[in-house]
Amino acid sequence: MTGLKKYRKQIQIAILSVVLIIGLYTIGSSLFAEKDSFPQAGEKAPDFTLRGLDGELHQLSDYHGQAVLLNFWGTFCPPCVDETPLLQQYYEQYKDQGLVILGVNLNESTVTVQGFVRQFSVTYPILLDKEQVRKQYGVNQFPTTFFISPDGMIVEKWIGELREHHLKPRVERLVPRKDDTA
Amino acid sequence: MTIEQFSNASLIVAWILYTLSFFTFVITITGKKWGHGKPEQFEQKWKRRSIAITIAGLIAQISFFITRWIYAGHIPTSNMFEFLTFLTMMITAAFIVVFFIYKSAVIGVFAMPLIVLFLSYAAVFPWEAKPLVPSLNSHWLKIHVTTAAAGEAFFAIGFAAGLMYLIRTINFQDKSKSGRRQVRWLEITLFVVLCMFGFVIMTFGFGAANYEAVFEQEVLDESGEEPQRVTNTVTYTLPPIFKPHNSEVISMDSFIGMKQPLFETPSWMQGVNSGRKLNTFIWSVIGGLVLYGLFRLILRKPIGAAIQPVLKDIKADDLDEISYRAISIGFPLFSLGALVFAMIWAQQAWGRFWGWDPKEVWALITWLFYSAYLHLRLSRGWHGIKSSWLAVIGFVIVLITLIFVNLVIAGLHSYAGV
Amino acid sequence: MIENTKCECGHQNAVGTILCEYCGKPLHDEDSDLPLEMRYDGVARRSQRSSKSIIDRVWRFFSSVKVAVYLIVITLVLAILGTIFPQENMLININYAEYYKKNYGVIGQIYHFLGLSHTYETWWFRGLLFMIGTSLVICSLDRVLPLYRALSNQAVKKHPKFISRQKVTLERELPAEPSKWIDQFGQALKKKRYRVVQEDDALLAEKNRFSRWGPYVNHIGLIIFLLAALMRLIIPGWQYEQYVPILEGDTVKIEGTPYYLKNEQFTIEFHEPDAEGNVVPRLFRTQAVLYECVDNCDGVDEPVLEVVKEHAIEVNSPLEHDGLAFYQYNYNYTPIIRSMEVKLEHVETGEVYGTFPLRTNDPEAMYEVGPYEIELRHYLPDFTYENGEPATKSKNPNAPAFIFLIKGPGLPQEGNIHIYFPIPDDQIRFQQDRVNEAAGSQFRMSVGDMENVEIAMYTSYLNIKSNKGMTFIWIGSAIFIIGLVMGFYWHHRRIWVRIDDGRLLLGAHTNKNWFGLRKEVSEALKITGIEVEASSLDNGRNLT
Repeated sequence: MTGLKKYRKQIQIAILSVVLIIGLYTIGSSLFAEKDSFPQAGEKAPDFTLRGLDGELHQLSDYHGQAVLLNFWGTFCPPCVDETPLLQQYYEQYKDQGLVILGVNLNESTVTVQGFVRQFSVTYPILLDKEQVRKQYGVNQFPTTFFISPDGMIVEKWIGELREHHLKPRVERLVPRKDDTA
Repeated sequence: MTIEQFSNASLIVAWILYTLSFFTFVITITGKKWGHGKPEQFEQKWKRRSIAITIAGLIAQISFFITRWIYAGHIPTSNMFEFLTFLTMMITAAFIVVFFIYKSAVIGVFAMPLIVLFLSYAAVFPWEAKPLVPSLNSHWLKIHVTTAAAGEAFFAIGFAAGLMYLIRTINFQDKSKSGRRQVRWLEITLFVVLCMFGFVIMTFGFGAANYEAVFEQEVLDESGEEPQRVTNTVTYTLPPIFKPHNSEVISMDSFIGMKQPLFETPSWMQGVNSGRKLNTFIWSVIGGLVLYGLFRLILRKPIGAAIQPVLKDIKADDLDEISYRAISIGFPLFSLGALVFAMIWAQQAWGRFWGWDPKEVWALITWLFYSAYLHLRLSRGWHGIKSSWLAVIGFVIVLITLIFVNLVIAGLHSYAGV
Repeated sequence: MIENTKCECGHQNAVGTILCEYCGKPLHDEDSDLPLEMRYDGVARRSQRSSKSIIDRVWRFFSSVKVAVYLIVITLVLAILGTIFPQENMLININYAEYYKKNYGVIGQIYHFLGLSHTYETWWFRGLLFMIGTSLVICSLDRVLPLYRALSNQAVKKHPKFISRQKVTLERELPAEPSKWIDQFGQALKKKRYRVVQEDDALLAEKNRFSRWGPYVNHIGLIIFLLAALMRLIIPGWQYEQYVPILEGDTVKIEGTPYYLKNEQFTIEFHEPDAEGNVVPRLFRTQAVLYECVDNCDGVDEPVLEVVKEHAIEVNSPLEHDGLAFYQYNYNYTPIIRSMEVKLEHVETGEVYGTFPLRTNDPEAMYEVGPYEIELRHYLPDFTYENGEPATKSKNPNAPAFIFLIKGPGLPQEGNIHIYFPIPDDQIRFQQDRVNEAAGSQFRMSVGDMENVEIAMYTSYLNIKSNKGMTFIWIGSAIFIIGLVMGFYWHHRRIWVRIDDGRLLLGAHTNKNWFGLRKEVSEALKITGIEVEASSLDNGRNLT
């Protein structure tokens, strides 16, 4: 008992500090509970690896140094279908200036994707995602396109169909100038 | 006679015996003055008779319970009728336990009307045994409901003893401000009890007369993706003082010259059947007022003051202790049944032990209230009057949890119907 | 201020002591004869010692029962407010501010603004629960140690004032010789399971002391419970919840875990219809297989799975593994063709070349039937025309269309295009036969018997939760209940007797159930020849 008495003050302080820490956690847990953790503009684009329709593995970081349009799409989504020719056109026009379009398909049958790609003569890489990257990027509406700068930062998250007047200024701002790389 | 008929008949027998035992308990207390022979002998004799009738009533109710269990195929605690009859059975059992500890006939004078009231109230709800939906089909649910009801039954006895304490000790001659306030609140409490009697009498009265009024009500159903206008048919079994909001009369029996509803339920009263509930509530208040008025007219003094002499043979301290004791016995049962077992069941059925569902919150509120009560009992100045008031309020919270939350606030626990 | 805290019996008491820890003599109001304040046996508590430091003040605040009651009452009131309108978590996919404004007007707006629409998740509600927890810890610590000390060091011979001021007392001339009487009384009490200590002409009988620890035990249980609940909130993975729809026959990945779950079959059974023809479901069951991924788990390629567990998930019987639990939540009737065995025949001669299996989910691209090579060129699971082009409305095989390229003997070099709709209605709707005729196809595809078609009827919705930390929840609850039972169903009773000059002085104390104590004392006295009414033992001056 006397031993305890000697350290009473310290014991008291110890108990109160533990209580205080728990209190901070309790209140903190409700104050900081609902933070959105999906990638946003201004953040680094999270890396991923997917199998492409071509059978090859594609990793986002492989395209470092190039401007990337990460396009989430499905054949069942009419605006996705509508914007495909435009994306294909821009891909052909700017691929030499360092533009890559990655079409992330939303977990459809391979034959369906293959048939669509043939139908629309798509040549940019189509990646087969089994919901993994979609969830990682928090994509719930289609199409959604992430504009990623050559240094791997998300410049913009665009939800909905892209049209010429949306695409042109954004792509031109994004691609590295030919003279710079030359 | 089918097993179902036998079962229902047993319940009616139980009701009759409970009512009878109330009267014999009253005779036990009041009769010894005018009875022949020695007052003590008279009291002993009638006390034995009264408790024997109560036990007979309990046996009848147990046979109702068991036979219903047999023909329904599951423990009969799954709808409002079954739950309330079960609660009544538990209150009777709790009363018998307390009676044998304290050997006091006076408690019977208060507990029996409460028991009769609960049983009558239960009888208002539909009697049919319904099959169980999967989520209600669990052993833990049965254990949860029965244990919680046992705890609540002791709270009911705590309430009865608390109310007796108040009637016993409140000075009806006290004309000071606080004295008059005490009297007023006691009378309000008794009035609320009378309203419940009023409700039961009204429902059975109009039910016997087959009264019916039917309305068609247009409501906005927002449960789907697109809000839709839906037409509901609402049937009243009491004459419509308040018709449902935004509704048309389809048919209506007239009642003492009343051929049209008098008012319309205000639109802010949300929820299914809010009009019918409001109308029933108004009728209960009217019934309570009539009963209260009649009593005042006959007695010519506050009801509490009229009951007071009945209680003069029992010590106020004993009532205080009975109330506290009943709540102390009930509290661990309630904690176990209404919280712990409920959590085990919720974990099993929904995968979360606690979900802040209104019914769960109200169980927690009840528990918090009685915890506060038990802590206050440790302090000076919280025995007697204050403590008895808390016992009364506590049981009001129990009733809100059991009845009001089910009927008004919809949640996962809500029993269908009514 | 210096206070003399030494009792006349020689015991040195701590500042704040009400009754001498040893002999029980009242240290303050010596001249009164009101019943004594017996809480915690009158010992000084930590919080009562005078000190002005912040730590002592905080300690004193949380150690007060009054504060605890206030905290309980405030929590209770806020909890009630939270049930007035539906909480946000009861509403699905709604703009909350809009909802409360529209349904409840200005009051609804205020309700939402104050955060009452999610009362139980707010920082202030959690803060209150935390303060109740703190109060539980400090109140208990502040009382349990001094109480333990007082109860383990009791004098048998108490001060006369201490005994006569108990709530249950008796004072009278002894009918018998003191030591003989005390032996007899001690025996009577032993029969009632008291532990009896005798010393000179004094006696102390005590039973059920453990009941005094009940409150502290139940408080420990509550603290464990609250801590476990908090752990589930702050440790990632301890609280995990998602709803997963799984079509019969499908295997889905459980996000954030190495597990995959397969719905082999979903069953629904009904009760017999009642008089009005209503059918109530009796049982929902998902026959499930849990797999663990052992290779290719990065989601790039087809994962390699190993069976971990099989279980029939029913409403009250989840599949549990590694802290995860899968609950039956809901179901949907979603009849869909999964696969079929397709027969290839000549459209005119009816010659059958053979059959091939065709899936509606990720079908194979190449098939060989008899002499023919069949390539699936395009697959449109929910066929429609979009701007005159074949397209699909969704990913679900509601109207599956298969476009084949058939090569083989007797066919052009580049092959023959053939389109196949397995659902007869679609064949008519999209004019399958005319399209094929126009394309010059000489084939017919059919499934013949329904036996050759595999159909999934139901989508089962499972709710997946993490059960980690539940053990502590249950341990806490169990300790809590044990504490309550200890404290409420047993009562600590003590009886003190001292005999001075042939005069008996008896006092008794209990923390609950005075009625029972008086009865017990009067029964024991009766055995020794002293007849007293149980009720007359009451000191009659209650602490009200």
